[in-house]
Amino acid sequence: MKVRGALIALFVLFGCVSFTSGQNLNSKARVETFAKLPDWSGMWEPDIFVGQADGQQFSQEALQKMKARAEALRPSFTPEYQAKYEQIRKSIEAAIAADPLHPPATHQPLCGSPPFPATFTPGMFEWRVTPEETTFISTVGAVRHVYTDGRSHPPKDLLWPTLMGDSIGHWEGDTLVVDTIATKRRIYMGELTGFFVPMSDQLRFTERIRMVNHDAIQIDYTVEDPIALTKPIHAVFTQTRVTDFDRMLEEADCEENERDPVVNGRFTTVTH
Amino acid sequence: MGTNMKRRVAALVAFGAMLLASPALAHHSRAMFDQTKQITLAGTVKEFQWTNPHCWIQVLVPDPEHPEAAPVEWGVEMGAPVELMRKGWKPGSLNPGDKVTIVINPLRDGQPGGLVVSVTGPDGKIIGHPALPGSRAP
Repeated sequence: MKVRGALIALFVLFGCVSFTSGQNLNSKARVETFAKLPDWSGMWEPDIFVGQADGQQFSQEALQKMKARAEALRPSFTPEYQAKYEQIRKSIEAAIAADPLHPPATHQPLCGSPPFPATFTPGMFEWRVTPEETTFISTVGAVRHVYTDGRSHPPKDLLWPTLMGDSIGHWEGDTLVVDTIATKRRIYMGELTGFFVPMSDQLRFTERIRMVNHDAIQIDYTVEDPIALTKPIHAVFTQTRVTDFDRMLEEADCEENERDPVVNGRFTTVTH
Repeated sequence: MGTNMKRRVAALVAFGAMLLASPALAHHSRAMFDQTKQITLAGTVKEFQWTNPHCWIQVLVPDPEHPEAAPVEWGVEMGAPVELMRKGWKPGSLNPGDKVTIVINPLRDGQPGGLVVSVTGPDGKIIGHPALPGSRAP
């Protein structure tokens, strides 16, 4: 009887704790805050894929956009980092010249979460906007957490380079302003077979994200690194609402049937 | 650097620019395919692999000049299932024994494989949504 009484007391105690938490999660203030946030529900994709023909080919309009953005994203390196960039580029050119039929794999196939800035990677996306956090999820496995609860970045001794880095954000009206640090300290160059150039520990990304109309989310994107860049990189990306598909499906399961493995540093294809 | 080499490097530059932005082959470079070339395969489906990270069609292609010889098996690569679904494909769009005509960008290294541009099914129609105006698709 005493045991049963103790159990009942425990249940009551946990019930109260649970109920109290529930009250906080649904407090009037939180509901009011939530109601003021923009509705980014639905599915989205980079606008360069709109008008794509058959799953394999880009439209001419998309190719023009990609070319313009590649120009906008071209970094202006400081002499020290220009030398690093040229060294990497020359090594890749040499690898291509050594065996043009088997291009060098300058990075592994994208399986699992693509690195930041994952918001510009292929696939389809969802944005989950809550008062405490905006979460970005993609079909290719990227998940970004942008904390909007007023917290700061962790102190330096608790930060190290990670795929997504550390993102905090705040709302300026209907614009989510995101500050990201502690990424893998590199930027991607869409040249040759594509490759990364290392950056300094002062690499910092700022995004201003806003739904500009019912069918478009615009990302104003700035990259700063006073050690590696002579001036910030700036570009604008647009995500377009997906209207012909209504659910997220996984597409980054490379264990299922990966037939383009990297062998000896080069892409290969298994035809049988 | 010879002209051919320059062309190859130029093509690789273009593919590199698309990397990380390509929905069809989101998981690796397209550089192994020669996207300046297209060839047509007429054959019989051996297997349709509706799989991640990419779908594949294994197709047996006879040599018209040597009909007595065993057909050559080609492995041709497509996008992920989620990408193909959006273009009208289904897991059962192809079945073993189906007669198909497939246009591909061939592998650079000469292996019997490539990147699918379009597939015409047994009914003579292109499977999935047709190419849109202004696209590079045939």
